[in-house]
Amino acid sequence: MKVLAAGVVPLLLVLHWKHGAGSPLPITPVNATCATRHPCHSNLMSQIRNQLAQLNSSANALFILYYTAQGEPFPNNLDKLCGPNVTDFPPFHANGTEKAKLVELYRVIAYLGASLGNITRDQKLLNPNALSLHSKLNTTADVMRGLLSNVLCRLCSKYHVAHVDVTYGPDTSGKDVFQKKKLGCQLLGKYKQVIAVVAQAF
Amino acid sequence: MSMLQIWLVQALFIFLTTGSMGQLLDPCGHINPESPVVHLGSNFTAVCVLKEDCMDYFHVNANFIVWKMSHFTIPKEQYTIINKTAASVTLTDVASLNIQLTCNILTFGQIEQNIYGITLISGLPPEKPKNLNCIVNEGRKMMCYWDPGRETYLETNFTLKSEWATEKFADCKTKRDTPTSCTVDYSPVYFVNMEVWVEAENALGKVTSDHINFDPVDKVKPNAPHNLSVSNSEELSSILKLTWINSNIKNVIRLKYDIQYRTKGASAWSQIPPEDTASTRSSFTVQDLKPFTEYVFRIRCMKEDGKGFWSDWSEEASGITYEDRPSKAPSFWYKIDPSHTHGYRSVQLMWKTLPPFEANGKILGYEVTLTRWKSRLQNYTVNDSKLTVNLTNDRYIATLTARNAVGRSAASVLTIPACDFQGYLAESTCYLITVTPVYADGPGSPESIKAYLKQAPPSKGPTVRTKKVGKNEAVLEWDQLPVDVQNGFIRNYTIFYRTNIGNETAVNVDSSHTEYTLSSLTSDTLYMVRMAAYTDEGGKDGPEFTFTTPKFAQGEIEAIVVPVCLAFLLTTLLGVLFCFNKRDLIKKHIWPNVPDPSKSHIAQWSPHTPPRHNFNSKDQMYSDGNFTDVSVVEIEANDKKPFPEDLKSLELFKKEKVSTEGHSSGIGGSSCMSSSRPSISSSDENESAQNTSSTVQYSTVVHSGYRHQVPSVQVFSRSESTQPLLDSEERPEDLQLVDNVDGSDGILPRQQYFKQNCSQHETSPDISHFERSNQVSSVNEEDFIRLKQQQISGISQSCGSGQMKMFQEVSAADAFGPGTEGQGERFKTAEMEAVLDEGMPKSYLPQTVRQGGYMPQ
Repeated sequence: MKVLAAGVVPLLLVLHWKHGAGSPLPITPVNATCATRHPCHSNLMSQIRNQLAQLNSSANALFILYYTAQGEPFPNNLDKLCGPNVTDFPPFHANGTEKAKLVELYRVIAYLGASLGNITRDQKLLNPNALSLHSKLNTTADVMRGLLSNVLCRLCSKYHVAHVDVTYGPDTSGKDVFQKKKLGCQLLGKYKQVIAVVAQAF
Repeated sequence: MSMLQIWLVQALFIFLTTGSMGQLLDPCGHINPESPVVHLGSNFTAVCVLKEDCMDYFHVNANFIVWKMSHFTIPKEQYTIINKTAASVTLTDVASLNIQLTCNILTFGQIEQNIYGITLISGLPPEKPKNLNCIVNEGRKMMCYWDPGRETYLETNFTLKSEWATEKFADCKTKRDTPTSCTVDYSPVYFVNMEVWVEAENALGKVTSDHINFDPVDKVKPNAPHNLSVSNSEELSSILKLTWINSNIKNVIRLKYDIQYRTKGASAWSQIPPEDTASTRSSFTVQDLKPFTEYVFRIRCMKEDGKGFWSDWSEEASGITYEDRPSKAPSFWYKIDPSHTHGYRSVQLMWKTLPPFEANGKILGYEVTLTRWKSRLQNYTVNDSKLTVNLTNDRYIATLTARNAVGRSAASVLTIPACDFQGYLAESTCYLITVTPVYADGPGSPESIKAYLKQAPPSKGPTVRTKKVGKNEAVLEWDQLPVDVQNGFIRNYTIFYRTNIGNETAVNVDSSHTEYTLSSLTSDTLYMVRMAAYTDEGGKDGPEFTFTTPKFAQGEIEAIVVPVCLAFLLTTLLGVLFCFNKRDLIKKHIWPNVPDPSKSHIAQWSPHTPPRHNFNSKDQMYSDGNFTDVSVVEIEANDKKPFPEDLKSLELFKKEKVSTEGHSSGIGGSSCMSSSRPSISSSDENESAQNTSSTVQYSTVVHSGYRHQVPSVQVFSRSESTQPLLDSEERPEDLQLVDNVDGSDGILPRQQYFKQNCSQHETSPDISHFERSNQVSSVNEEDFIRLKQQQISGISQSCGSGQMKMFQEVSAADAFGPGTEGQGERFKTAEMEAVLDEGMPKSYLPQTVRQGGYMPQ
């Protein structure tokens, strides 16, 4: 299953990368079908807030766990190696309407989820013994998957938004070991920074 | 070579064997269906079809078929010959789970040969799974469980299906040994609702359970708190502090706890009140514990809102509360050695060691003090539970305290009597004699008794008093005699009571009583009562007490007065009712009916009175005879014929109006203005009538002459004038109807009458002047409407040649000056002066002319 996931994520990444062409497309028109398998629950926003709080509370620990597991020079050069310098990260505006925030949240989490998939795949190869890190990465990815489901449910049930076009970060599969570690560290630093803002906004 | 031969022989053997077996195993027919599964209790039909070549070989057909079920022949009645080669059998109400059904033929008359056989399996379709629920053990996958329902006797597969609103998860198929639960493959994701259901399927059907929708976080069973530890406090011996480490789930949900404790060795657990542990925490202080006692604790947790499951209990942890000073003094006694030596005696003091729940700690020693009568103190510190000392023959006071690390207990005090102790007992004194048994391990429970050396009569008698006095009884009460005056055991009391003249009566009362009721007393009588207390040796009287019984018992007076009052009230009521019923008769004799002038209707009379007033004739109007001297003028309405007299008077009026503008007006002016009201519109007819009926009556001077003729007599009468008159001219409801005047000529005869008077002005070129004025002074629409009313009123009364000039002035003043009140007054003043200058008789128009009432003259 994990192997399958590890294979599917890059595939999705490539597919979306081709179609996305770097910038997010507008959301799907209103007349698009917006069907869910069963009716969405009424307390979606509360659940979304809880999920964001859950992610926010664990983001720093994940970041620390990550750069610690990478070994030197990462722990002592965080500013240089792990600064949140992610240029194509989807924007998030905390003062927007609920609908706008949800759409942006969807893009942010989709981006982060795909990136976490890359990081998890890389870390299993680079640090096969860092089981705690693997577990935390998987848990975070699971929470993000649930968050995406809730956000989509909310967008669909309340705003009739059936689909949101998203973008993903660069594929790290072809990069060298240091670049993989560095990109992962930068992403997790950015994640820690962004998730605090997002959690505060909802 | 030999090997090759052996191999060939074997191959040939196998080939031949296989061929012959194929012939032998080729059945003569078959049964349809091959592998049936039937519902328990239902009917089943199988068909056996014979092969043609077999039938020819054995010379048989379908009639030769014999069905057997588990080696028993099925009766022929259940067979059905379908054709030459096929016959069926029907099994009714299949009850066995597994049936071997064979088709046989009778060859050569009697030989039964088996043709084919099948196994019939029966069972039940699955029932709808019930009570589906899931549990998420922290850190593990979610497991769901359900009640599968009845036994199906068939292989039944259960599949757990789950999905989010946006995606579906892989099915979870149960294992053969656990068909009632299934653990999903994926990790649970909290705060996302998922829908779960179970499908049960076997050969006889498929059924789905109800769907349940939940957030996995509400199904969590947390891991138990771990590293539970217990610590005590030196400051407080009644508390223990628990600390533990929560599971990681506390980062996701808030927790509540269940803490239980018991003393070591006890079996029953006590519980901390749940409300004290209803929030996430990692420590708790248990209070109200016993000092220096070992307690065992355990803890578990669950989601704060009660959704989900309790965790398992943690590992037990124990702790001992800190010591406290002994809570009780040790039991203490002494034993005196009877052998005396030189004025000394050997006394052994002994005590029991305190039990742990009283010692409250480890007893480090006992401290004994001995005090001789008003003498010095001797201290001893002992670790044992006894002490032997040599004492003089004096009396001693011994005290004993137990001591632990925290402090000392209270002291036990014991008196060691002097060796030559001889008690002096007085007579007539009560003594309490106490005997305490002394056993080998200490004193037992003491027993006491009161005793007198010799009794005597009491020194004083009891003082009696009344507690309650009734008409025929009195409750007496008294206090027990103090011990020092009893002089013995009080055996009984005697109560003596008498009247002034009667004999004394004595009543004996038991000594345990302090109250007695005297009965059969006489009312309104003075009684004297006294009381005596008796011991075995005699009695003593107390002071005498007097009381008087009342004349009436409580409530007796009320019982007399209330019925009397009721009777009086009833009589009064009947009298009032009688008077009410005969009021007409009484009224006729006492006060005859006098007509009320205020109810006269003179002002409502008119030739044009609407039918409802019914005032069309003089006879009706003065039917009550109160206004026989009033002259009434009837005016015929005419649209076209002018009244030259009116025009003339109006002309004079207008001239005077200009010269007297601004002067105050009298009542005549007011009446003129009010009289103009009917000319405005007919639509206020009803309202006018209502106003009249509800207003104050005014004195009205009615002119009995006609037009300018001098009346022979001036008559004063009452009319129903509307008050206030001046105010009525400005009422908005009237003003709203001004427009009707211009465009509703000839609607009513009365209007026609006034229209007739003013018809000359309507054709006058000056009217355009007025309209211009109206346009210019459009500052206040309401004012203009009001002004129009006044103007039309003026038309109705004067319509003189100077009329339009006056309108112009009034118009300007109204638009920019004060309110219309002043305008009205000016107008009224002018009118009066005009009338006087013409030398008109001093008669006045009716102050109120309503529709259907008086016409102005």
